[in-house]
Amino acid sequence: MRNRLVWIFLALLVGGIVLQYVFGIKMSREDIHISARAEPLACIGGERVGEACSPGTILPITNSLVMTILVDLVLLLVIIFGARNMQLVPRGFQNVVETVVEGFYNFALGIDRRNVSKFFPLPATIFIFFLVANMLGLIPGVGSIGICVPAEPEAAAAAPAAASSSVFSGLPGYCGAGNILIPWLRAPAADLNVTFAFALVAVFMIEYFGVQALGLSYFTRFFNLREGALGFFVSLIELISEISRIISFAFRIFGNIFGGEVILIVMSFLLGYVLPLPFYGFELFVAFIQSVIFAVLTLVFMSNAVVAHGAHEEHGPGEPAHGETQASPA
Amino acid sequence: MDEASARLIGMALAIGLGAIGPGAGIGIVFSGAVQAMGRNPEAEGLIRTYMFLGFALAEALFIFALVFGILIGFGIV
Repeated sequence: MRNRLVWIFLALLVGGIVLQYVFGIKMSREDIHISARAEPLACIGGERVGEACSPGTILPITNSLVMTILVDLVLLLVIIFGARNMQLVPRGFQNVVETVVEGFYNFALGIDRRNVSKFFPLPATIFIFFLVANMLGLIPGVGSIGICVPAEPEAAAAAPAAASSSVFSGLPGYCGAGNILIPWLRAPAADLNVTFAFALVAVFMIEYFGVQALGLSYFTRFFNLREGALGFFVSLIELISEISRIISFAFRIFGNIFGGEVILIVMSFLLGYVLPLPFYGFELFVAFIQSVIFAVLTLVFMSNAVVAHGAHEEHGPGEPAHGETQASPA
Repeated sequence: MDEASARLIGMALAIGLGAIGPGAGIGIVFSGAVQAMGRNPEAEGLIRTYMFLGFALAEALFIFALVFGILIGFGIV
């Protein structure tokens, strides 16, 4: 079975190379269209003008919104079918779901053993959502199949529609000159609105757990008036870094996923069918590691927030409690 | 040089130069963490916590460079 897949894969690769170098079918410059923001498919309460909604729009239905709902549906179906008639000894699909949850739970145990049951839901949600979303966003066709709309009037007027030199221009489904493609789907993490919402929720929950554990004295780490001028200055830096966490949470995953898409497009333009391959593998890795980093950083900041400021305890947050020593290589 | 090309150069410089320091910093963070884990495998959980903290702090600088690169490149500032 695996052998046959390898042969099919090699045949596709060779066919692509033949198409590119013998028949000259490859991307041209005007096939590259990159939009940093999610494009609206429809505008509720407004009109779509080019790539944006007209002012006064109540709710733009963007392609990343559609994709987010799709990912949510996938996750719901997986949980419904995985958790239906649960058994103590899992078999079949329940095994898969348990492996994912348990794997991340054991990882979280190593970071904060005491509070893991309290913290676990949010980081696990972030991890599983972004894992599925990033992986689905890498499926070929997600960012490349869509509807053709006329470009913005002023932009089209500035650059009169020239005859397209792309070899794809005669094919069905290709947007002619003066039109732009709006994909049906777009990876949710490639839309800053999605990642920013997750970052806001994560930072809010970090502060919430801090206040819940320490009361109002939690805020002394931001406005430290007891330890002199230096302590006050350090606490102000702490406050600034706390606010910048929202920005860094949101832009880290956005930059990685969006940058990965741009790299794949540019590599397909430079040397089609061959050069994107290693980058595609790398993007699969990035899709996984960025979801892990978002979730683990949330967890680490949470476990930091519940420790009182200046309390140098003997047990670090991740140190196993007594009697629960991890399997140590003797 | 008109404004658009100056903005493009500025964006590329902001992101490119801003990636140098954090790249080296993240490498140092992870190499130190791996060495520490090798020397003291029992403390792996604690090391991992601080490893990710250090990673986040180093990475935040690059995020700022990225944000300002985007702000410059798309003509927001």
